[in-house]
Amino acid sequence: MSGDSASAIQRSQVDLVDFIDWSGVECLNQSTSHSLPNALKQGYREDDGLNLESDADEQLLIYIPFTQVIKLHSLLVKGPEEEGPKTVKLYSNKENMGFGNVNDFPPSDTAVLSPDDIKGKPIVLKYVKFQNVRSLTIFIEDNHSGSDITKVQKIALFGTTVETTDMKGLKKIEDH
Amino acid sequence: MVLEATMICIDNSEWMRNGDYAPSRFEAQAEAVNLICGAKTQSNPENTVGILTMAGKGVRVLVTPTSDLGKILACMHGLEIGGEMNLASGIQVAQLALKHRQNKKQQQRIIVFCGSPIKHEKKLIEMIGKKLKKNSVALDIINFGEQDDGKIEKLEALLAAVNNNDTSHIVHVPTGSSALSDVLINTPIFTGDGEGGSGFAAAAAAAAAGGLSGFDFGVDPNLDPELALALRVSMEEERARQEAAAKKAAEEAAKQEKGEGQPSGTQDAMMTERANAATSEVDNKDDENALLQQALAMSMDDPDSGHETQDTDMSDAAADDPELALALQLSVQDGTKDSSSQSDMSKLLADQSFVSSILASLPGVDPNDPSVKNLLDSIQSQTGASGSNISSQQKNEEKEPKEDEK
Repeated sequence: MSGDSASAIQRSQVDLVDFIDWSGVECLNQSTSHSLPNALKQGYREDDGLNLESDADEQLLIYIPFTQVIKLHSLLVKGPEEEGPKTVKLYSNKENMGFGNVNDFPPSDTAVLSPDDIKGKPIVLKYVKFQNVRSLTIFIEDNHSGSDITKVQKIALFGTTVETTDMKGLKKIEDH
Repeated sequence: MVLEATMICIDNSEWMRNGDYAPSRFEAQAEAVNLICGAKTQSNPENTVGILTMAGKGVRVLVTPTSDLGKILACMHGLEIGGEMNLASGIQVAQLALKHRQNKKQQQRIIVFCGSPIKHEKKLIEMIGKKLKKNSVALDIINFGEQDDGKIEKLEALLAAVNNNDTSHIVHVPTGSSALSDVLINTPIFTGDGEGGSGFAAAAAAAAAGGLSGFDFGVDPNLDPELALALRVSMEEERARQEAAAKKAAEEAAKQEKGEGQPSGTQDAMMTERANAATSEVDNKDDENALLQQALAMSMDDPDSGHETQDTDMSDAAADDPELALALQLSVQDGTKDSSSQSDMSKLLADQSFVSSILASLPGVDPNDPSVKNLLDSIQSQTGASGSNISSQQKNEEKEPKEDEK
């Protein structure tokens, strides 16, 4: 299983960090000093000292829109053994979710991270559920230790893009 | 200019009948609400405001967040006072109303008017605060009216639980002379979080301060710049005129003595004569001319003012009198030449007939006046001395331009 997922990453799946639409990225209940880019952005996420931390309680709600439609294959979450996330629910194409309505509809997939997974092992998701993803909502429900603060060192998404038109690449045809 | 959806929670409990805020607590609150709605909608046209009441039969949403100011103000009519305020439910319903706002890009904010005692436990209040923070809802608390022990503590705890990066505020409004809205205008609730104030708030503050709000002439330069400028200019003109008139009165007294007493050199003597003449002219002519003469006399009277000033005055004076013009011209030439020509000048002046003819042409000067005669005598006796006087004066004046050049 783990061998499969590792090879799957190597084969065709790319790191989707390049396709994240940073202008629309949001995170509810994050602490201001330890915010989402620490876990998501290239460079910051490699640094284990920079974490995303929760604020009022241990739950986190992360909303990630993409610049293109993608297929999501696997997820990688890295965090400390104690305060790292345990239950992670993923919702595809649901905008403006709040903590109130996370339980209103079933998640596209749920991942319960073992202490082994939290070291940075990619977790394969239900690929069929993530064929046409424009935005992803990650709901971190609790952490391993049960403390009030959840810490996340790295979140990485792997998948492929669907061939869609990049609107920025379109050029106006010159009139003759 | 933050894009915001605001829910205002009004306290319409029985405690609002009290009149310690004029005219009654409830009306003071209503006025503050009107001002807040106006400020919010003005600072950003896409802002929305909604209102709910916390007391009465239960928490009731009067209007969901809308940018229509008329609708908001209309729903404030016909509100009834009664019941007890339910703070926890009020805030939770407000949160729900904000959750279902149409424009999800708006920041969420709740403004609570808390005028009656809080019956909830502190823990419950804190939990509500935490929930607001978790959903990134900002909270402004306006504490007024009833102050029982623990109320302030609970509200401060609520603020601490909600506050995220100073987006939430609390304002305590004590009973007193100033109205509730006036106190609020200067708070961050109106001015926004450090934006520097919306125009609405600033204008409202100016109007509310009333009358002379510290601006000159009681006119706000922001509101009416031309009027303020016109007022200022006319004030200055009046002041200048008064000063000139005062000086004229002082000068007249000084001139009379000076003109007769001092032989300060031939040129000076001539200038003084002219000054005298001018002074006596003052009585005859109207005020504006007199002031002009006065200014001329003052400048001529001052030997340190430099040759240039004297030149100007002399040219003015010479316009009327060719003989005088000749004399003045000579004196000007003297100023630029070396002392050898000074002797010519002094010779010229030594010619009494010439001098008396000049003096005769001066209006208002009678050559037969004994004081004038005395002066002429003293001039002639001092011709030798005055020659050196002139040269020394010249050196001073030459030094001055050189200093200017430096």
